This record gives sequence, C-alpha cells and structure tokens, in this order.
Amino acid sequence: MKTRITELLNIEYPIIQGGMAWVAEHHLAAAVSNAGGLGLIGAASAPAEVVREEIRKCKELTDKPFGINVMLLNPNADEVAQIVVEEGIKVVTTGAGNPAKYMELWNKAEVKVIPVVASVAMAKLMERAGAAAVVAEGTESGGHIGSATTMTLVPQVADAVSIPVIAAGGIGDGRGLAAAFMLGAEAVQMGTRFVAAKESIAHDNFKQQLVKAKDIDSTVTGMSTGHPVRSLRNKMTKEYLRLEAEGADFMELERLTLGSLRRAVVEGDVVNGTLMAGQIAGMVKQIQSCEEIIQEIVAQGKTLLKL
Amino acid sequence: MLKRVKEIIEEQLNLENVDITEDTRFKEDLGVDSLDLFELVMAFEEEYGVEIPSEELEGLTTVGAVIDYMKDKGVDA
Repeated sequence: MKTRITELLNIEYPIIQGGMAWVAEHHLAAAVSNAGGLGLIGAASAPAEVVREEIRKCKELTDKPFGINVMLLNPNADEVAQIVVEEGIKVVTTGAGNPAKYMELWNKAEVKVIPVVASVAMAKLMERAGAAAVVAEGTESGGHIGSATTMTLVPQVADAVSIPVIAAGGIGDGRGLAAAFMLGAEAVQMGTRFVAAKESIAHDNFKQQLVKAKDIDSTVTGMSTGHPVRSLRNKMTKEYLRLEAEGADFMELERLTLGSLRRAVVEGDVVNGTLMAGQIAGMVKQIQSCEEIIQEIVAQGKTLLKL
Repeated sequence: MLKRVKEIIEEQLNLENVDITEDTRFKEDLGVDSLDLFELVMAFEEEYGVEIPSEELEGLTTVGAVIDYMKDKGVDA
C-alpha cells in the first residue's frame, strides 16, 4: 500500500502507532516498525535522558524507521527536541501544543515533523510552519482529545492542506483504514488496538479490560478543566465525574488523576487507574502481536479499497 | 485598531458586547483555548494582510500584544 505517507516515512504499510504515554516505549515501537508500520516512542513527561535510552534500546530491536512523539507541555521538551536530532531520529509527531519553535531545528536536521492537529486552522498554520504531514485526530481517540470527530475533521483537513493527512481516532480495523482513506487520509494512526498488542508493556489487567470493553465503555473526564481525557469508565472516572458535576476545583480533581495513568499501565490498577483508551476499545477482541494486527488490517483494508 | 480587533474576536468566538481592552488576556479573560487562538490568528491575518508565524503565538497572550505586533509590521489602522 503506497501512499505519500509510506514514501515520506519509508515504511511498508500506512499504519502508525500512537505515541501513548507510558505504553509507547521501545518494545512496542520496535514491534510495530518491524511489522512494517511506524512505531513511535512517546516521550510524554519522561526526563530527556530516559527518552535517549528508549531510543537506543529501540535501535537494538529494529533497524526500521521509528519516530518520537514529543509532548510539548513536557517541561523537558527543549531537551527532548535536541535528543531527537542527536540520535538521528527522522520522524517526530507532536502533541499538546504548537511545535513551531522546534521547526527550524528539526527541519534543518531533516526530521519530518508531523503535528497532531484537532482543527483546520491549526493544520493550515502547521503546514505553513513547515510540517511534513499532519495527524488529524478526532475525539474518538483515547487520552487527551479535541472535540471534532474523525469523520468530520479528516475530510476538512484534507481539503485545507496539500501535505498528506494521517487519520486518528476511532480506527481499529481494516474498515476504519478504508474509511479513513475515503475521507482523504493517506495513513492511519492507532493507539488503543496497540495498547492491547502482545508486545505492549501495558499490564495484562489493562489489556483484559480492553478485550472486555463494549462500545459504550469509554467516558470523558476533565471537560471542566479544558483538558478532556478519554478513558475506560471505572471507579476513578465515576468519582471524577461526580466531583466535576459538583464543581470541584482543579486541585481536587488533579489529586484523583495524579499518577493514575502509571497506576493503570504499570501496576494494572484498573479500579483507580486511568485506562486511557479510545471509543474503538469495544472492537479489541483479543491480544495479538503487532504483526498480526497490521497484517489483518492491511488485508481487510486492501479488499475494501479494491487494491 | 482596538475596535476592529474586538469585532473580530467577538465574531470568531460568537460573543457579544464583551469588554475588551488592550489588557484583555485571551486565555484567562476570554477563555480562549489553543484551538481558538489558531482561529483568531487566521482571522487577524486575513484582516490585516500580515502573516503571524506560528512561533510568535506564545508571545501573543493579550489583545494589546496582537495590536502591537500588527503595528510593528507596519499595519496602519
């Protein structure tokens, strides 16, 4: 499946693994890249030297291209941006903000910059600032989300920019890939399905919750804080939403979620942890290797697209 | 220029009769989030024919900062 994205990133299949905090580390990224997609290491809020270590470990597991997701709110973002260049990484996706201040550094080092965007205006400004592509991420996604849906955002972004568009949010199988292509995307980014991959280091309890999840099992917390997060509903989200409805202040809400993603991913606390996942969680039926996931999606997508 | 900037902000954010001065802060006073800011920037660019590079956005936190930026770029209004 050749698209401008597979050409740009030098990958076999137009499938990118999301840069999920805690989950997107070197094992998962290498497995996705080895399977012909693009694996990403999510720098999230990690200290810069941890990111460097992750990159080096990933290089030991794959000689295929892989990228880094730089979370721009990370206080260490400046250092991470530099490490990307020093370690010879050629693809960066960015989240939680505006990567313009790193564009010159990265473009000079021939790093392809792919910002995650949640609106047409942002996509246009990123294209102008030198982005090589954009990820148009709909509100179906897990983790931090915007408000536009994938169905509405992808075609509008595709119409507004001439750089290639990667669709994200609510994509979990070949039908989703085919639909995204119909909307004008040239690749898809998936997170939730890869959290449940065999190579993912997410705790087995978390993976089992994904397998068990039904269509309506995700919920959005934090609307009132301006930073909404989608995750699987559990005791924590119920308590959070109750407090939020009562008008609890930011600090009180923060207390519930401080370290809660780590609790879910690392410790397997599915009761009090934040099980970040997208609406597609209901379609995760089993734990499979990245190779199996990608082959299945590509085969189904090709059939539907008559490729 | 303040009057026109105020109109643009009201139009973009679907607000009416907001009290806007040069000291008005986008985020704290108007509840503008990062996506709204991108919309506003595009509207200001269109109005004044000035391109605001994305790396400048961090500094444009108040209405006055936008007006100063435009004046700096030779906008006469």
